[in-house]
Amino acid sequence: MKRLPVIEMDGITKSFPGVVANKNIHFRVYPGEIHALLGENGAGKSTLMSILAGLYRPDSGFIKVKGEKLEFSSPRKALSAGIGMIYQHFRLVNNFTVAENVILGAGKSLKMNKKQMEKETLKFASQFGFDINPSARIYQLSLGEQQKVEIIKMLYRGCDILIMDEPTTVLTPHEVNDLFNTLRVMASQGKAVVLITHKLHEVMEVADYVTVLRHGEVVGSTPIAEVDETMLAKMMVAKEVIFNEASHPLLKGDSILELCNASIFGDQGHLAVQDLNLDIKSGEIVAIAGVAGNGQRELIEAIAGLRKLHTGTISLDGKVINDLNIRQRLNLGISVVPEDRMGMGLVPNLDLLDNIILRTYYLEKYSDGIFIDYKSVRKLAEEMVEDYNIYLSDLNHPVNYMSGGNLQKLLIARELSQKPRVLVAAYPSRGLDIAAAESVYNILLQERDKGTGILLILEDLEDIFRYADRVAVMYAGGIQKILDADKTNIDEIGALMLGVEYVRKTS
Amino acid sequence: MIKAKMIKRQHESLLVDIGVPIFSILLAFIVSGLFLYFSGYDPGETFSRMLKGAFGSSYAVSETIVKAIPLMLAGLAVSLAFRMKLWNIGAEGQLYMGAFAASWVALSFGDLSSWVLLPLMFLAGFIGGAVWGFIPGALRGYWQVNETITTLMLNYIAISWVSYLVFGPWKDPASKGFPLTPRFTLSGYLPSFGDSRVHMGLLVAVVIAVLFYLVLRYSRWGYEIKVIGESQNAARYAGMNVARNMVLVMLISGGIAGITGMIEVSGITHRLQQDISPGYGFTAVIVAWLARLHPFSIIVVAFLFGALLVGGFGIQTFGIPYSIVLMLEGSILFFLLAGEFLRRYKIILVRKEEQ
Amino acid sequence: MKKFKKFGILLLVIMFAVTMVVGCGGQKAADDSDKQTAEKFKVGFIYIGTPGDAGWTFAHDQGRKYLEEQIPEVETVALESVPEGADSERSIEQLAQEGCNVIIANSFGYGDAMLEVAKKYPDIVFLHCSGLSTADNVSTFFGRIYQARYLSGMVAGAMTKNNNIGYAAAYPIPEVIRGINAFTLGVQAVNPDATVKVVWSNTWVDPTLEKQAAQSLINAGCDVLAQHADTPAVQQAAEEAGIYSVGYNSDMRSFAPNANLTGPVWNWGPYYVRAIKGAMDGTWKSESYWGGLEDGIVDLAPISDKVPADIVAKVEAKKNEMIAKTWDVFTGPIYDQDGTLKVQEGQQMTDDEKLSLDWFVKGVEGSPKS
Repeated sequence: MKRLPVIEMDGITKSFPGVVANKNIHFRVYPGEIHALLGENGAGKSTLMSILAGLYRPDSGFIKVKGEKLEFSSPRKALSAGIGMIYQHFRLVNNFTVAENVILGAGKSLKMNKKQMEKETLKFASQFGFDINPSARIYQLSLGEQQKVEIIKMLYRGCDILIMDEPTTVLTPHEVNDLFNTLRVMASQGKAVVLITHKLHEVMEVADYVTVLRHGEVVGSTPIAEVDETMLAKMMVAKEVIFNEASHPLLKGDSILELCNASIFGDQGHLAVQDLNLDIKSGEIVAIAGVAGNGQRELIEAIAGLRKLHTGTISLDGKVINDLNIRQRLNLGISVVPEDRMGMGLVPNLDLLDNIILRTYYLEKYSDGIFIDYKSVRKLAEEMVEDYNIYLSDLNHPVNYMSGGNLQKLLIARELSQKPRVLVAAYPSRGLDIAAAESVYNILLQERDKGTGILLILEDLEDIFRYADRVAVMYAGGIQKILDADKTNIDEIGALMLGVEYVRKTS
Repeated sequence: MIKAKMIKRQHESLLVDIGVPIFSILLAFIVSGLFLYFSGYDPGETFSRMLKGAFGSSYAVSETIVKAIPLMLAGLAVSLAFRMKLWNIGAEGQLYMGAFAASWVALSFGDLSSWVLLPLMFLAGFIGGAVWGFIPGALRGYWQVNETITTLMLNYIAISWVSYLVFGPWKDPASKGFPLTPRFTLSGYLPSFGDSRVHMGLLVAVVIAVLFYLVLRYSRWGYEIKVIGESQNAARYAGMNVARNMVLVMLISGGIAGITGMIEVSGITHRLQQDISPGYGFTAVIVAWLARLHPFSIIVVAFLFGALLVGGFGIQTFGIPYSIVLMLEGSILFFLLAGEFLRRYKIILVRKEEQ
Repeated sequence: MKKFKKFGILLLVIMFAVTMVVGCGGQKAADDSDKQTAEKFKVGFIYIGTPGDAGWTFAHDQGRKYLEEQIPEVETVALESVPEGADSERSIEQLAQEGCNVIIANSFGYGDAMLEVAKKYPDIVFLHCSGLSTADNVSTFFGRIYQARYLSGMVAGAMTKNNNIGYAAAYPIPEVIRGINAFTLGVQAVNPDATVKVVWSNTWVDPTLEKQAAQSLINAGCDVLAQHADTPAVQQAAEEAGIYSVGYNSDMRSFAPNANLTGPVWNWGPYYVRAIKGAMDGTWKSESYWGGLEDGIVDLAPISDKVPADIVAKVEAKKNEMIAKTWDVFTGPIYDQDGTLKVQEGQQMTDDEKLSLDWFVKGVEGSPKS
């Protein structure tokens, strides 16, 4: 059967300052199709779909919807062309009922009273097999139910192309099943669904067709019947083989930091980390590889002392430190470079002097109890700037005028000035250019050679292979496997990161 | 299509820092001058009278200072909370509670000598306001209740409470039923400078400003306020107790607003009555912002603000109705605030692509 | 930090400089105008509100205009909306410094400030409306508005159909309580079955709150509203509800042509003329003046056509008795709300008793405390 595509995107290119997010992308979706858009974080999936939803404009290329060339200047225009996007954060009015959320704003609401709205909603939802109480208020619903309301809302507004951005991240396994069934019903009625995801097994389970993006380019577009998970994983992460360049550690000593059966709650009240076991030895770099959002942030905060362990223990040199706060842990030698450099690690509007004492201002070295001794702080700052080659115009300028690389060096220098036993650094090279990233890693390597245990949280497999001694692959709140960096390969780690069991004789 | 967009200025430039305020002040006087002219009043004469009313004689200057003292103190009070990004707009209520507590001391222990009574009133004023700051502070620190709303609501309670007292239990039997408390004894009067009405409150304001400056700039606690105000996440990471600091800051902010109330009853009205403050607690918010929360700037801005109010009020006898005076003051203020905004943000025109 | 300070001070210096420049330009003109007015006899007014309120300050401003008409040598200035706190002393002082020969203030809260300034200016005559204390150069003055309230009460009592009259009152102070009592005595004189419900608005000038108070009385079933408040909001509420109303301060017919029946009004002009003439020819003496209908300082606004002629005649008769001083409002027997006899038959309350009234007479519903 020869069908016409509902969506044709041709030659789409979009760049942001410093990054080309989409490069000459061709993308087609047919009616009645569930089309998975697969790729790592930062591969350009969201950008591409935001262009389709009218949020961004492409630098070049065009979009045809149902054969007609259209230019979307706003999400509203895209919506009127039948394209609806469902984000991870739902756009529903919490205090309104399901019926009100579905019907209000769709243009037909004025003539209806509450009863009629609920009746209409019920009638409409049942067409697609939705089972939902139209008079319930949004805040009373689970996230899965709220997602249903979003879908109904989009369908009610006449959308026949539904884009869903990582729809399963907020759902329980049971709800995921429900969602997939719904999607299948919708597809059977001729709607097109685009599923943005990085989860391979979901793609295999529900999609008819898959397009894989990497570094902003399409690396493959194929019916699902012609691929398997391993092939997809390879397409997503494939790179030239990289050798572990880092010199091997001079000494690899005893375990310093150990986590046993650790479970940690996330902000939404779910267990973000479950039964995690990990140890870091003196003089080694352990890298945690994983797609962001698999519990890394919670893990770092728990090590730092900002988050309590729900179960399990964390110990330093064999002593359990579960009950110690962040200052006590810093004193014992746990330094942390947080992921959010400007939001947590540094205070952008304060100057370098104030930033340098962020974690130690209360110590006797810098303060007599009431006043801070800025003279000694300045001395420390000058030393640090010199030792770590930090470039800045003035110690009294707010640090947000400094470049990313200098900020990261400052942050690491500050943490190292405490002479830690363990340094935890999250995404230390994020946003840095190659030279800056290299100088940051060099600092870390030197520190390792002095015998400090280093835990890196990384996304970039290239960096992992270049610098880590051991790789712990994190997925869905647990450590999948811990591997020696020189005894594994990129395919294996890539697969583990995506929750796929990698079968290989040598592993 | 061309659209205007506001973006935050990335770099501070001297040209902008100096040019924008000069321009906005000039514009304020030009526009309000035109406004006066077209309303049939002589702008030159009007401004000259305003100036004379505020600075024209030692008496005028002293009255400007009298008006400025509560603005200084209340401005300092709110600025402390603002530094931590706590929107304390309850200085008015805290002022009333301070006035209430200080009046209680003055009316109950009037026989004590000044040396004992005044410090007691001072302390009571602080505590009265501090309690009124502590409540929203604790609600915010420990239960994330929005302090803007709670401080605003507590204003009404405090003002009504004082009304209740002066109409009811504290009413002076000799006042033939008018809502006034009895006068304080002389030892409850805050000493003033010479014959003028300028009282020791000025000294209190200056001392508090200096203390603020030292604490905020050099002290450990000032450092914590700075960091918490800038980034609560960074503060947690630094191991600071964010909630406790919020409570403490609101308590002190309220306490200083309470001292403002004590100073007004002890230095000016010498008794508790309704309307001890014509909105000082709210005007203080503007003063604090125009001064960019800097303690010394607050003293100076409050003085000039007092001048604007005192000088503006007086031009009524030139035949300008009070409503026009208010518009005049309003437009001057408007240009100052707009200028301040332009100093922080720049407006750029963006060409939107045609369809 | 440094930036803050530098800039703040800069801003102030500039503000200062500009004010100076602009200010000096007009210096000469100011001096001229001062000279011009030097020969006239200058009277300054301190107003609690604004003349636009159609209420208390409006009535005083009418008096000011009357004064200017009657004595051409007099020139007046006024400061409006002067708060009763720290600002009042400065405002009175300003009028003194600007060469006023007489200064009149129209709210009780100016008392302390006025006495302070009066000490410094023994040659200036100070007149304090509704004040408490006098000095050698400070008089207090007020009018027996309760007499007019009694008359307006007679009209209200005659016009109510369900014997349910409402009274929106400002604050529970003797002046207001006295007015409510007089009004109620007037109501009951013509209609012993009618009662007066009192609601406190706790404001002198706030149209919104006053209207709310009126609305609550309308909701309680009142069919005539009276007021002790400074704006016509109560009149407007009555007009909207299609019921009757009694005004206050000035003739409020124009705000509620159908509802307004009459109202007690102030007429300050004659007193001002008398006092200023005295001050001009040196015969003025400090006094505590409390005039009544006989002096014209208080009066009843014109009575609406809707009021039957026999009632109008009765009201006129009572008014004449009061002018002739053969009878006054607080003549016994007067009972309080509990039915206790407070003033014996044939006896009269003393002025001191009237000035410190804190209880309601029989027929008032409500509490004399807010």
